[in-house]
Amino acid sequence: MKTILNLIKKDYILFWHDKPAVSLTFLVPIILIYIFGSIFSGGGSPQGIRMAFINNSNASVAKKIETALDTSSSFKIIKSYINDKGKEVKFDTNSVKDFIRRGNASAALIIPEDAYTDTSTSLRLKFYYDPKNAIEMQMIQGLLQQTIMAEIPSVFTASMQRKAESYLGMEKGSSFNRQIASVISKYYNVDTSVILHGMKYSFSDSVGSDSSRKAGNFFSNILQMDKEQLVGANVTSPDATRSVGGWAVMFLLFTITGASTSLFDESKSGVILRILSSPISRVQILWSKYLYNISLGCIQLFVLFFMGYLLFNINIFSNFLNLVLMIIAASAASTAFGMLLAAFCKTAAQASGLGTFLILTMSAVGGAWFPTFILPPFIQIISKLTIVYWAVDGFLKVLWNGYGFMDILPYLGVLIAIAVVVNLVSLWKFKRGTIL
Amino acid sequence: MISIKNITKKFPTITALDNISLDINEKELFGLLGPNGAGKSTLMNLLVGYVNADEGEILIDGERISTDNLDIRRKIGLVPQTLALYDDLSAQDNLEIFGSFFNLKKSALKYVVAEKLNMVQLYDRKKDKVKTFSGGMKRRLNLAASLLHDPQIILCDEPTVGVDPQSRNAIFEYLIKLNEQGKTIIYTTHYMEEAERLCSRIAIIDFGKIISTGVIETLLESLPYSQTILINKNHSTEKKTELFQKFGELINEQDKYELKPTNKLKLSEFFASMEENGINYESIEIKKPSLEALFLHLTGRRLRD
Ligand SMILES: Nc1ncnc2c1ncn2[C@@H]1O[C@H](COP(=O)(O)OP(=O)(O)OP(=O)(O)O)[C@@H](O)[C@H]1O
Ligand SMILES: [Mg+2]
Repeated sequence: MKTILNLIKKDYILFWHDKPAVSLTFLVPIILIYIFGSIFSGGGSPQGIRMAFINNSNASVAKKIETALDTSSSFKIIKSYINDKGKEVKFDTNSVKDFIRRGNASAALIIPEDAYTDTSTSLRLKFYYDPKNAIEMQMIQGLLQQTIMAEIPSVFTASMQRKAESYLGMEKGSSFNRQIASVISKYYNVDTSVILHGMKYSFSDSVGSDSSRKAGNFFSNILQMDKEQLVGANVTSPDATRSVGGWAVMFLLFTITGASTSLFDESKSGVILRILSSPISRVQILWSKYLYNISLGCIQLFVLFFMGYLLFNINIFSNFLNLVLMIIAASAASTAFGMLLAAFCKTAAQASGLGTFLILTMSAVGGAWFPTFILPPFIQIISKLTIVYWAVDGFLKVLWNGYGFMDILPYLGVLIAIAVVVNLVSLWKFKRGTIL
Repeated sequence: MISIKNITKKFPTITALDNISLDINEKELFGLLGPNGAGKSTLMNLLVGYVNADEGEILIDGERISTDNLDIRRKIGLVPQTLALYDDLSAQDNLEIFGSFFNLKKSALKYVVAEKLNMVQLYDRKKDKVKTFSGGMKRRLNLAASLLHDPQIILCDEPTVGVDPQSRNAIFEYLIKLNEQGKTIIYTTHYMEEAERLCSRIAIIDFGKIISTGVIETLLESLPYSQTILINKNHSTEKKTELFQKFGELINEQDKYELKPTNKLKLSEFFASMEENGINYESIEIKKPSLEALFLHLTGRRLRD
């Protein structure tokens, strides 16, 4: 027994001296749990989701909805855009569609002029959307409907009246009106959420399928949403297309980190000394490592996307050239990340431990696993500092939006800029380091 | 001709080489002898242009060595002290990779690799991964990997560390043969026996300084005595250390004592005294002094502690 205890003690001592293992056991999960926790606790309702908005109606209910949206913390309502000349211009139908198509927001709500007139039996709204993200779209629609429904009991009763009148004739109708009005108001007083729940159902049913504005439900007659999917309607395999980028980028980072830390093995084994006693310079070694990593990354990404094509029929060929550009840029940026680790860490174990930690964190906050909009605002700022964010979003733009070269240029630019800056830092560090 | 002029190399906490000057002739098998941490490997690294010196210069055939002078490295083959091999690859793959760094043509490379594998008697094992090799086999491969470009100058940094006597002898034979073929070899070691066996001229280096250099015989002549007396340890000799110390300085080796006689010692007196004390002649051996003794004489320390 004593022997076994001693052996166990030895294992703990070894474990404790293996800092990467310790950090992977405790630190990494704690931080990731914190990130997930802060997302999914706090009622789970995200803040400040961007939504474009036009109100062309004079009806009081339209005004009420606008005020409710303006004051809602869930939404950040955008009513104007900056045009080519740098001027701020109020949206019209065309410009708001463009706004969505360009990915500036995932949804737009339009209250048309004839949304609700004196003769209307229902409130008619228009909804443009880009379901680049399934969770986001569900949340937007759910929140939107809650907000609107809370404002329309007035519409509701008036509509009911008119409907009843038109069916039953004026006289009978008015008595019916009174009755039904009292029933409804009573109903409301008793339990609003039941109604909202019922309405939500009807609403959600039609999400994603524009044609299916089901008239079966009572409430759907009151609120009529004309929905139009502006982006990705032709995408063959929406779910796979939306998620392939995130997973690919995360595994890319793991691959590249592993490849970069091979410098440590070569340095430790003395192979670097052997290489450098051949007619080869340090700069050439770094270049070769760099190009090797980039090409390996490109091959890996291409294989992953190609598997996406084979398994899920993700359409990688219709925008192939831009996909290739994104693959190269993402590989370049990831390689820079790997080389930075190699430059600043002292051992391979350190690099892979720190690398795993950073990759998992970046993947969590950068949008590889779930959309960044559900993160707290301050973490969303951090998201934009990660390679993952720009790579994932860039791949989405290519595969989902089908963007052209000019439109993905910002993504390519940011990734390449990250690559260049980070590489200069590691080069500087390599020059004074001991690994080479 | 290798000319090392006033080389100083400093590391943050230590001056590894302190104003070293040394000339090594063409086709020489030159020994660089020194204890752990003396600065031998540092000098090798400087010779191949792996690092730059802080002061001084090294010329090979009149050309200055530096980290930027890549072409001169074609003349030099460094056998690193740490095994510089890819463990997960086969012997052949290793050699082909290292050979490719010298831009050998594919056919030439194949030929050279086979030749060197034959030379170090590993041709039969060429397909085996290096990690399955014994220590001695790895050392031999480590040597072969440095000879692919047929360098004129071979720098061996302790090429026999952790090697069985058989492999060690084999490595000596390869080196002697290469030297006979006209290669200049610098052989680094902290085993004096190796230096004595292989080299005619040596430099002794300690704490980054060269404390002695020259032909071994000449160096040994500089000692104040011309022979040492080895006394085997056994039950009778081990009790008599005080007696031996009367005749000179006694060094306690593993299985024997080495007596460095004082200047005036007469062997006849010594043997007479031994007889009186019942120590038989079989336990006693007269030898020429070793480099170990020279090192002790120069530094007051043993070469290997
Ligand atoms: N990269 C380095 N950074 C700091 N100090 C170093 C470095 N390389 C060597 N040294 C120091 O320089 C001194 C000389 O080291 P070197 O490796 O040249 O000794 P050596 O004679 O080859 O010893 P050994 O017989 O053990 O191989 C040692 O004190 C060593 O600690
Ligand atoms: Mg050494």
